[in-house]
Amino acid sequence: LNAAARRAPRHHVRFLPAPAARDGGVAGLVATRVPVLADHPLVRGPRFRRLKMGAGHRLDVKASGVFVLGIGHGNKLLTDLYNCHLTKVYTVGGLFGKATDDFSDTGKLVEKTTFDHITREKLERILAVIQGTNHKALLMYSNIDMKTQEAYELAVKGLIRPMGKSPPIITAIRCLQFTLPEFQLEIHCLHETQQYLRKIVHEIGLELKSSAVCTQVRRIRDGVFTLDDALLRTQWNLESIQNAIWDCQLKVKTELEKTL
Amino acid sequence: LAEPSGPRSVRQLREAEEAAPVFQYTGKAAKRKDRVFVWGFCYSGALGVPSFVKPDVGWKKPRRIQPTPYRLETEEKISSAACGYGFTLLSSKTADITKVWGMGLNKDSQLGFQRSIRDRTKGYQYVLEPSPIPLPLEKPQETRVLQVSCGRAHSLVLTDSEGVFTMGNNSYGQCGRKVVEDETYSESYLIHQLKEFDSRVVQVVCGQDHSLFRTKKGAVYACGWGADGQTGLGHYNITSVPTKLCGDIAGVNIIQVSSYGDCCLAVSDEGDVFGWGSSEYLQLASVTETTQVNVPRHLPFKIGKIKEAACGGTGNIVLTEEGNVFVWGYGILGKGPNLIETAVPEMIPPSLFGWSDFNPDIRVAHVRCGLSQFAALTNRGELFVWGKNLRGCLGTGRMEDQYFPWRVTVPGEVVDVACGVDHMVSMVKSF
Repeated sequence: LNAAARRAPRHHVRFLPAPAARDGGVAGLVATRVPVLADHPLVRGPRFRRLKMGAGHRLDVKASGVFVLGIGHGNKLLTDLYNCHLTKVYTVGGLFGKATDDFSDTGKLVEKTTFDHITREKLERILAVIQGTNHKALLMYSNIDMKTQEAYELAVKGLIRPMGKSPPIITAIRCLQFTLPEFQLEIHCLHETQQYLRKIVHEIGLELKSSAVCTQVRRIRDGVFTLDDALLRTQWNLESIQNAIWDCQLKVKTELEKTL
Repeated sequence: LAEPSGPRSVRQLREAEEAAPVFQYTGKAAKRKDRVFVWGFCYSGALGVPSFVKPDVGWKKPRRIQPTPYRLETEEKISSAACGYGFTLLSSKTADITKVWGMGLNKDSQLGFQRSIRDRTKGYQYVLEPSPIPLPLEKPQETRVLQVSCGRAHSLVLTDSEGVFTMGNNSYGQCGRKVVEDETYSESYLIHQLKEFDSRVVQVVCGQDHSLFRTKKGAVYACGWGADGQTGLGHYNITSVPTKLCGDIAGVNIIQVSSYGDCCLAVSDEGDVFGWGSSEYLQLASVTETTQVNVPRHLPFKIGKIKEAACGGTGNIVLTEEGNVFVWGYGILGKGPNLIETAVPEMIPPSLFGWSDFNPDIRVAHVRCGLSQFAALTNRGELFVWGKNLRGCLGTGRMEDQYFPWRVTVPGEVVDVACGVDHMVSMVKSF
């Protein structure tokens, strides 16, 4: 970054004495444009000594996926994005038959159960109930008076959302794959933590009269940022970062203008 | 030879895990149980839980309202339920002797004669738990009860081979028998049987003080109070014998009839809807300016083929073949606080019932009406209610009126719901 071209130094007009033409005599002043000494690279030093970086929504150690970072002036946009309260999308993988103390497959085993009675239909029924109760929570925490006409209109369009603090709410959940004993869910949620998603997998197991642990939590979308915008480990170099920031600028600006 | 203790290795952990016992909570052939949930106003006893009205412990207070669904234990699987004005009837398709249970108000013997234990000559005025109703059947172990229906102070029980049984108040002939002057209806043993119809009766519906019967051939019969024209027989007098309706439904094969207040709707097999009765709240204003219509009139709505209709006290609701829900009439119709009355059906957006790009195949499967509230059941088994929340009858857990469809959290898949004035009963299949 520091090796990149800097801004050209400023120039100013100085009255410098002209080189003397003859001995003794009057020294005249000539106006010349010279670069300001304060802008000289040796005086200023390297352009960047530290970089301020901020993180978007948390992603814990056992989970993977899109993780939004802000650099320098972008940190101010991070707070605005947080106040937009956009949903995040996760792919959660689960395994029936086991129950552990921290709801993931690496924890201490608590119980083993049978799971051959579980069918995709039963799972979808439970998911429908989860969606229903979370939809109710969505409407309740949005702090809108249900008796007004605008509450009705927002509810029709599906735009009612809690715009302040609220407990974790799942806006949509569906089953992507189901091969006993494994299954995979896609969850759209707000204000959640990854441990909450693991707890949901455990509770789904309990509702189906069996038990389940979570094997994988992967965030595939965080507000406007999807997997396509994310940089892989091999792409963590200056050029790709600069390209990524450039591509996302427009998206972030439109989203902020729409919501705030 | 004990093993040394200490941090266990991965191999030891895996072996311990494999050696752990496996618990089985349910097998593959586990059946889903059928349950009944009730909610609403408790003091009339219509919810069937005696501890709400008379608590079994001295320090507990009687519960006035049950705001969320409460499970009611029943002996048999309940196939049909009906909520009247302060009482409830439950019926089962069993071949046992007891097929119908009733609870709630019994001041007009709408639940039959319930002999009091304390005084064997008197009957109960309020029945607090589901009590069997003895029907005078010829073949009690073969006949099956198909459906029950309740009005303001009378009830109808439909059987498959022995016609219709009516009991309760008959001051307007709504029980289908001649009006006896100064008859006392409380503590009465009389249960009247109706068999004279052109074909077998397949649906019975009670309005507030009148009764409607739909036969297999598609004809509709009515009896009872007619001052608003709700008997549809062309006059405004009382009818005490079920008489066939004419008007626009003559010759039309009717597949469903509905009524709860003083207005009636009928749906034909071709998807047309016919209405008659009181039109004070613009229920029939699309065809006439008068407030009483005593002959069935076709309602020319261009909303698609209609599958099901339900009538409330002041508002009506229909469900079309595509799964869209239309409301019209007066009151809280379900489209926000601004829509108070309309004579033309207005559609309720499907997104309020859970339809979205994520779930495009959610459809409304049934619609039901209470006196001032509406209920809709989706194909996923979710129950949505809206309307006036009279004494907690909506079951949402809040006491405020609901201006647009709101989910009721029931632990199970809702199969059917019956709406009354201030309480509701639902039949639910557990997960």
